[in-house]
Formats: sequence, C-alpha cells, structure tokens
Amino acid sequence: MNTQVDAPPAAPSRDYSAFDAELTHKALNVNMFVRLLAWLKPYRFTLSISIVLTLASAAIAVLQPIVNGRVVIDTILLPDPRSNELPDYGMGEFVYGVADWTGASPLMSAVFVYALLVLVSSLASYGHRLLLSRSTLQALRDLRSELFRKLETKPMSFYDHVSVGRVMTRLTNDVENLIELLTGVLELVGDFIPFFLSLFLMWAISPELTLYTMVFIPVVAVATSLFRKVLGNTYRNVRNAVSSINQYMQENLIGMEVVQLSRREQLNTEQFGERNESHRDYQFHAMNLETVYSSFNNSLITVATGVIIWVGGGEVIQEAISLGSVVVFTQLIGMMIGPVQAVGYQFNTLFRAMASGERIFQAIDWDESIKEPENPVPLPSNVRGRLEFRNMSFSYYMGEEVIHDVSFTVGAGEKLAIVGPTGSGKSTLIKLLARFYDFDDGKVFLDDVDVNHVASVDLRQRVGIVLQDFHIFSGTVLDNITLNNPGISREDAMEAAQIVNADPFIRGLPEGYDTFLSERGLNLSQGQRQLLAFARVLAADPEILVLDEATASIDTATELVIQDALQRIMEGRTSIVIAHRLQTIRECDKVLVLHHGEVREYGTHEELMALEGIYYTLHELQFQDSRIAAELSGDTGVERVQPRDDPTTEEPDDEDR
Amino acid sequence: MAQFGQYTPPVYRRQRIERARPSLKHLAHLKRLFPYAYQYRVKIVLGIVGLIAIQMCGAAMPMFMKTAIDSLAIKDPDILMPVLGIFAVVLVRSFISVYSSRMLQRVAISSSYDIRKRFFSHVQRMGSAFFNRFGTGDVMSRSSGDIAMVRRVIAFGWVQVLTFIFSIIVGLSFMLYLSPTLTALVLLPTPFVAFLGITMSRRLFPMVRERRQAMDDVTSFTSENLNGIRTVQAMAQEQQEIGRFDDMGTRYASLVYRTTKYRAKMNLVMPFISIFSTLLILGYGGQLVVDGVITVGTYTAFFAYMYMVTGPIGQVGGWLSTFTSAAAAAERLFEVLDYEPEIEDDPRPTASSQIQGRVEFCHFSYAYPGATDEAIHDISLTVDAGETVAFLGRIGCGKSTVLRSLVRMNDPAPGMLLIDGEDVRAYPLQQLRSQVALIPQDPFLFSLTIRDNLTYDEPDRDMPPIEHAAQLAELLDAIDEFPDGMETVVGERGITLSGGQKQRATLARGLIRDARILAMDDCFSSVDTRTEERILGRLKEVRQGRTTLLVSHRVSTARHADRIFVMENGRILESGTHAELMMKGGYYADLEAVQSNQDQDRERKAALLKNLDVDVRVVNG
Repeated sequence: MNTQVDAPPAAPSRDYSAFDAELTHKALNVNMFVRLLAWLKPYRFTLSISIVLTLASAAIAVLQPIVNGRVVIDTILLPDPRSNELPDYGMGEFVYGVADWTGASPLMSAVFVYALLVLVSSLASYGHRLLLSRSTLQALRDLRSELFRKLETKPMSFYDHVSVGRVMTRLTNDVENLIELLTGVLELVGDFIPFFLSLFLMWAISPELTLYTMVFIPVVAVATSLFRKVLGNTYRNVRNAVSSINQYMQENLIGMEVVQLSRREQLNTEQFGERNESHRDYQFHAMNLETVYSSFNNSLITVATGVIIWVGGGEVIQEAISLGSVVVFTQLIGMMIGPVQAVGYQFNTLFRAMASGERIFQAIDWDESIKEPENPVPLPSNVRGRLEFRNMSFSYYMGEEVIHDVSFTVGAGEKLAIVGPTGSGKSTLIKLLARFYDFDDGKVFLDDVDVNHVASVDLRQRVGIVLQDFHIFSGTVLDNITLNNPGISREDAMEAAQIVNADPFIRGLPEGYDTFLSERGLNLSQGQRQLLAFARVLAADPEILVLDEATASIDTATELVIQDALQRIMEGRTSIVIAHRLQTIRECDKVLVLHHGEVREYGTHEELMALEGIYYTLHELQFQDSRIAAELSGDTGVERVQPRDDPTTEEPDDEDR
Repeated sequence: MAQFGQYTPPVYRRQRIERARPSLKHLAHLKRLFPYAYQYRVKIVLGIVGLIAIQMCGAAMPMFMKTAIDSLAIKDPDILMPVLGIFAVVLVRSFISVYSSRMLQRVAISSSYDIRKRFFSHVQRMGSAFFNRFGTGDVMSRSSGDIAMVRRVIAFGWVQVLTFIFSIIVGLSFMLYLSPTLTALVLLPTPFVAFLGITMSRRLFPMVRERRQAMDDVTSFTSENLNGIRTVQAMAQEQQEIGRFDDMGTRYASLVYRTTKYRAKMNLVMPFISIFSTLLILGYGGQLVVDGVITVGTYTAFFAYMYMVTGPIGQVGGWLSTFTSAAAAAERLFEVLDYEPEIEDDPRPTASSQIQGRVEFCHFSYAYPGATDEAIHDISLTVDAGETVAFLGRIGCGKSTVLRSLVRMNDPAPGMLLIDGEDVRAYPLQQLRSQVALIPQDPFLFSLTIRDNLTYDEPDRDMPPIEHAAQLAELLDAIDEFPDGMETVVGERGITLSGGQKQRATLARGLIRDARILAMDDCFSSVDTRTEERILGRLKEVRQGRTTLLVSHRVSTARHADRIFVMENGRILESGTHAELMMKGGYYADLEAVQSNQDQDRERKAALLKNLDVDVRVVNG
C-alpha cells in the first residue's frame, strides 16, 4: 500500500497540548489536595481510627521521658525537693499508685509503668500504620479504577491526539506517586503531634529553656527551604537525565534488529554512555548538596542538646529546675526538631506527587466524550439491518471537511463495497457509523432509528467492525476471539473460527485454542491475524458487518482462504466493506465510489465499468496503485507527511486515518 | 467531593495469596553486586574509616553528658568543659560525616552507573530468543526500577549494616567499661533479634517479588488495553475491561498492603526486644544508683550507649526490607545479565577481510530454539558472486530464516552456511554484517533525522551517497516535501511517515551500504507493484556484479532474479529461471497464473486453490 494521508490538520478544535504540558508547578495545590481527600471519604472511619491511634501513640511516647527524667531521676535516684512544684503529668502518682498497690519498690513500679507505656504506644502505632496504609491503598485503588474507567471510554478523537505512553504514565507512575504523597502527608500528621505535645510539656516545665530550644526551629526551617531550592533544580536535572536514558534505551530495544544489522552496538553503547554519565554527574551533584544538608541537620539536635545542658545546667545550679527536667529536655528535643526535618526530606516527594495529582485529576476531568443520548432508544432485538447515511458532512478539524454531504442507503442484507483512492474518507465513514466520533451535520439511520439516539454500546454490539490492524491482547487464542466476553462460549468461539477457516491453523498451534499469544511472543502471520479478526467479529454475531480490508499484500494462497472466509461472514448480513481487492468488490451487491469525501459513483460493478469513470480507472489499475489513481484524480501524487500527534502513529496500514 | 456520588467503589476483599516457600537463598543475589563495588575499594575503605570515626564521636557524646550531669548532681557549676566538648565533637563529626557519606554514595552511584552500562551493552548483544522471553517493557523496568533499587542498597544498605556493627561494638565497649554486669544483661535478647530478623526477611522476599510482579501486570495490561482501545471500543468491551482492571488494581493493592503489614509487624516486634534492655537498665541500673554503685551520670550515659546497641536493632526491620527488595531487584537484573548471547564472535576469526559474494548452503537445516520442528530442512544450494536469486513461498516456509542466517541473526550449525567458501562463523560479526546487508521485513525508524536514519550504520557519510540511496528507493521526492528535507526528524518527536515511506526509508538504509551481498527480506509489502518494479529494475543496473538475495511472495518480484527457489515447509520445491519454472508448470506457474490474472472467475480460482494444496498448512506454514 502506498499511503496517501490527509492534509496536515490545522489547529485542532481542542488544545491537546494541554494534556502533555507540565501543569501549575505549585508546590502546594490546596484544591487538588481537597479533591484527593474526597477519595478517602469512604474510608473515613478507618482513617479516623488511625488518626486517633497515632495521637494516642504520640502522647504516650512523649510520656516515656517524663517517667525516666521526672519520676526516676527526680524522686528516686536524686530526690529533689522542688520536684513537687514541677509538672509530671500524673506519672509520679501513677508510679507510686502502682507501688502501693503491688507493694513493689518505686523503682520497679517505674519500670513497670515505663514498660506499659512502650507496649501501648507501639501497639497503637502498629494499628495506625495498618489502618492508614489500608485506607490510602483502597482509596487510590478506587481512584485508579475511576481513572481507567474514564480513559477507557474516551472517544477516538482523544486517542488520536494523546499518546498512549502519556496516558499510561498517569495510570501507573502518577498513582504510585500519590500513594507516596498520601502516606507521607498522613505520617507527617503523625510526626507533628509529638512536636506540639513536646512543646507543651517543655513549656510547662520551663518556659525559658523552651524558648532557647525553639530558636532552632526557624534555623532548621530556613536551612531546609534554602537547600530545597538549590536541590530542586538539581533534582530536575536528574529527572531529565533519567527520562533521556529511558527514552534512548526503549528505542534501542524496539529497534534492536536494526541496531545489530547496522553494527551500531559500539557507537550506541557510547551514546548511551554519555547519557548515563550525565545522569551520574547530576546524581553526584545532588548527593554533594544532600550530604551537607543532612550533616547540618543531624548536628543541630546535638548542638541544641549542648545548649540545653549549658543553660539548663545553670538553672539546676541556681535550683530553678530539677536535674530530671534537663534530662527530659534533652530527650524531647529530638521529637521537636525531627518533624521539621522530616518536612524537608519529604519535600521532593510532595512536590512530585502534587504534579502527579494534578495530572490525574486533569485526566479525570477531561470532558471529551461521545455525546450519549439522554434517553437512549433501545434498538429492537431483531435489527433487520437497513442502513442510511443522510446528508453526512464531517470534519476532524474546524473548517476542514473530509466528508461532504454523503447520502446512501444499504438495504437489509445488502452488501456494499466502498472504493476510492486513499484519503477519500472511506475509513472516516465507517468510524462515524460506529460512533467513534460525534457528528452534527447529517444523520445515520439504522432501521430508521437515528443512531445518535442510541446508546453507543448498544450500537456497537449490533455493528461488528473489523479494523485493518488486528490487535493481539495477551491471552489465549480463545481469549482473543471472545475478548473475554462471558456471553461467548468456547463452543461459539470455535464454531466461529471454523467458519472463517481459522480452525486448521489454530489447531496446528502448540496448544490449539489455549495457545498463549502475546505482543512479542508467537508470531502470527498477516493472514492468520486477518482470519482471527474475522473469527472475533463473527463470534460476537453482529447484525451488521463493517470491514476495513487489510491492504498489505499477503501470499496468494492465504489470500484465497481469506476471500473464502470473507464471503462466509458476510453471508446474510448487511455489510459495508472498504475494499481493496477486486475479488472482494465482486462479492458485493453495490459499489460506492468515494473521492475527496464525496460520493462520485454508485451502482453495480457492471454499471460503473460502463461509466468509464473513477471506478473504471481504479479497476484498470487493479486497485493497487493508489499513487497513480491519485495522480489521475488530480492530486499531486506526492505523499504528504503527518503531524506528530496524528492518530496513525504506528499504524502504517490505516490509510484514511 | 461530587464525584463520589456517581462512583461506587468495588468491594474490597482480601485476596488469598499462596504463600511462597521461605528460602534463605535470596540474599545471595546481593553477593553478586560486590564485584561492582570492589573497584572502588579505596573509597570504600576511606568511607568506612569515616564511619568508624563518626561512631567514635557518637560515643564521646554520652561521656561528656555523663560528666556534665555528674557535675550538676553535686551542684558543681563547672560544666563549660563538657559543653564545649559536645560542640567540638559535633563540628568534627559533621565534617567527617559529609566526607565519608560522599565517599560511600559515590561508590553507589558509580556502581549503578557501571551496572547500567553493562546492562545496556549486554542487551545489545541479545538475539530474538532473549526478546521473546523479556519484552521491551520488562527490560525497561529492570533497567530503571531495579537498578535504582540496587543503588539504594549499595548506598545505604550496607552502610547501615556497618553502622549497625560499629555502633554495637562501640556501644558495647563503653558499656563494658561503665558496667560489665549491666552489659551482660542488656545483651541477653540479642540472639532472638537475629533469629527473628532472618525469619522475617525470608518471608518478606517472595512478598516483595510478587508485589513487583503485580505492578508489572497492571502496567502491561494497561499498555495493551490502551494500544488496542479501538478494538475494545469497537467490540463494546469497555465494561469488561474495566472490571478486569479493577481486579488487577485490587490484587495489587492487597499485595502492597500485605508487605506493608509485614513490615509494620517487623517494626513492632524489633523495638520490643530493645525495650527489654531499656527496662533492665531502668530497673537494675536505677537500683545501682540508689545503692551508690554508679552515678546518675553513668546511668544516663548507659542509656545513650544502650541506644547505640539497641537502636539499630529497632531498624533491623527497615533495612531487612531494603535488602530484601534489593535482592529481588538484583535477581531480576542478573537474570538478564546472565543470559548468554546466542550469537558471538569466534574468538579467532580466520576468514578473509573482503567478501566476494559467493554463498553456499550445504545441507543447511535450522530449528528455532525451543521449536520442535525444523524451520529449514537440509537445503543445499550455491549462489555465485554477482548472481540475483529469489526465494518464493508461503508465509512460514523458511525463506526469511535463510536470509537471517546469512548475517547470523540465527546461528546454524557449523559448516552449513559458507560465504566465499568460509563458514559464516569464521567472519567477525562486524565485518559480516557490514558486507552483507540485510533489509528486514518490518520497517523501523529511530526518532532521528531522515539523514541520521539513512546513515545509521555509518554516521559520517557524505550527502551524495545518501541521496543516491534515497533516489534508488524512490524516497527522494518525499524527502524534498518534508519540512526540513533530510534534516527532518521522524518518529515520536517529529513527523510520522506512512507505511510505504517507512519501508522505502528502511530500504534506502540498506542500499546505502552498497554491500557485496544484499539480502532483501520481503521489504516491498507496503510498496505498490509498479514502484517496486521500478526500484528493482534500477537495482539490477547498479548492482552489476554483486550478489542479491530477495524474498517475496510476488511472482512479479521474483521474476527479476536470475534464479528462483520456491520453498515449502523448509524445503526447496522447485528451482530455476522464471522461464524454466513457467515451462515446468508447477507451483510457480500456478502462482503466476493466480497473481497475474486478478479477474479470475471463482471456479478457476477454486481449482487453483486445490492445485496449490491449500490446507491446514496454508496459513500455518
């Protein structure tokens, strides 16, 4: 097939570049976050318990140093007269209560209380983690499903412009990033509880000493934000390097055969090496900054401890506070500075996840869809199959009509061949019939029902379409025939395969109908794929058959088998075939010649031959040389190129788009 | 909040997952990473020295604290020295820590760089059997995700282990110095920790592996589904597919939850053991203070040292899961790296450096790896230098295999395939593939400029030969129409070519080499017959004196050849010139009749169909 494509489209009516663009770049997008929280709503009960648990766990964890410092040191080891004036949050009472009740020494009671606190706080924290991860995982599972549901039902115009790779990223990486975000943020909530509790406890013991400690918080905060700013750029470089590595690798893997045949292994290893090196160097750079930052952060806690001992020590000597209180302070300081540092560490994750969240919601919000009727008219269970196109005009892009005022009728059980040079709009017509696109100008009737009043799912179940490219899904041959439709039994599928002459070759496969097919695994020939496509559509048993005949040349013997199969599936069905082979055209009752989106000739083969018009010319050229046909019909004859986001990427056989 | 009203989440149910048999072997995968780190041993040693110094600094801290607290206990105001000591230690420690973690991280980054480099060049040597087993997505995820995971374990994993060990050693020494009895008591639970840690890691390994697999499943399902979205929608199977996706998403979520739960359990159990020690110090140590055996300062210092010993134990869960994930990643990496290239250079190639172009098949047979049937059975034929031969036959008859063997894309047994009288294996691969040009069946272009694509094998070519090749492949007119001519980028980041254009570009890429032997593997399937005839006609002129092998299923292509071999089921059915074969009236003649006369009536075609023995094998091959 010598492909001729449509003129490069002008600006699409919808800005698809927005789908690919990097979005707002805001580090904190509150709107997005609120929407994300909405997904947690069904799990709010689990989540509230989890938050209660983390509160409890934090509160109890903060009490542990109190038992050690205020009770053990201040009342047992070095009894301090001022101890009674300083708060111990009932821990003293608790310990001595236990001592009175059990008769054990105060020290042993303190040990017991301490053990109890540790036990309860660990259990609470364990429960918190489980419930938190359970609810976020469930919520994001739901979100992912919803995203998939939305994408799965997007119309063709969407997939014509947006690459599958980008859509994939949203479903995989972006959702994974959100899992990190949600768990990260919610754990941060857990981290900040000890922060406030420690602050409160410290303030109650010694406001002055607390103020000294608090000096360190802005220092950590400022240092963190400064480092992040510098690191942010570096990390962006690292990310870009990663994607450049991946891109290079992927292309090489796909084109490995060419690489090896061109003896490029050495050169490509070098080129890959350059990318690999720049990735390494950016990582070095990031790491150099990171080590300074983390070393600075780690030192701060110790410096703060020194300050507490220095200042607190002075107060102990002046008998302002007890020694135990200073010990409590040295142990609580970590709980205060820790969370502020954690925010710093989490910042990159948060930033990345915010962007992911935006992309996900953008995809969910993308409002492009086929207009479904509000009150769909159900098609009768027995569709007779009369089809009518009435005054159909259509353009993919504003102002560039590819179908002009096309009207024709296919009677029930009739077979119509559509022929025409490439780019004449043949494929577009059948895509409109299947409602892959919305159309406003013109109507299509199926048994006198306007298809725009029918639910698209209902319509597509009645109209079976064989596309040029047979897409193999990973699964058995059987799965590929039934497409996992539970309504099609194994027997149905095998019968369909038999009718279309696919049975012999399937039985010849290692495991027959249960042979596993995959994208790169077992290679099926063009002819085999075509037969499977027939079997697939036949198994679905549609009332109307629409077929885009494959153009790639197939060896003659196989072609004959396919012709035979084609004849059988058209039997008794209203059929529309985009035909490239004379034999196929001869099977049909009527021929419609389409040129530049207009119906130019219509009639039986004999009638059109007598006309000596376009059909006659095409016939003389054996329907093969579309290049010459195009020349004859006044086109330049030179293939035009498609813009990069054109739908036909990777689909060389799809000629009309 | 609105969207929730419309959406009912599927019922979350616990998935039953068969528990894999626990095994200790998994950590052995990590051992294989050592050679990669070994070359950086100087850095490693320096880094480790730094780590020891950091631990020593860490150990000094509680001693200063102890001095300060003891002073405070007796109300001695002289705490300047210990506080200054603390500050000094902090300063020294931060410098050492920056330095040593840089050393160790450099090692990790450099090793992962080396692994990635090796991975790439290794994959480039792989043949079709490899790519049948590992799909593109699979190799990609190994090269990105798994290498990153391995890097993490080199960067932090074993540093954690070392820190853990030093921390224990240092902590223990100081504890022993302060109070041997207490130390002995604190150490009691350690064996339990070790035991538990190993058991848990063993269990975790299969979980991590399964979880990764589940993610891969989600990814490949999505990719396939979206690539086939037209089919799914045309067959109205969206709901069906959404249901399957839900199931996969749920399975993945439950597997993630399972590992999270297990990790949380590890995090719960491990600190519990260290708590045991804390309580001992609190109780027994406190008693010693009351009895006046030790001071309060010693008591608090003891706490600090105990954390040095038990603190890392609390993190055992954390690093075990890092190690376990890394072991799973290393396993996946080495699965690829261990894969032996199917085709390799003879260590001492003996053949001459200039190929003349005589090709001989001597009782040539070939079976694809894993296949039970031979694709080629015992073919013997000779193609003289300068001759043009065509292989004709149905799909799967073995004609492509013949051509691919010529450039060693498949390796036949020795002695079966000779070029200029020498075994193909005797030629260095580089030389063989540069002097024998195979134009493959599937057109593939890189997202580079047209020029870079045409000169892919030899980027430094001048313009005239490039234009000449493009001219031969009838591509020059099309190139002139491109926005930037020869410099137009094609593919994902540029313009998309039609099937025919791609195929002719692939053709031009092969022709540019002007090779002694040219093998064209059915590379006109998307090119119409007239263009094909023009191209072949011109090739005949320019390729005077060179060998050409071409594969086709069109008689119109084959008739250009000096000799034609009709193949069936891996054997040669007929051979001869076009005229001879036509005279013979066999398969070839029948095929010619069918192909040349499109306007056959059905009966005649049916008769031919019968003649051509169209049966099970027709489409099966």
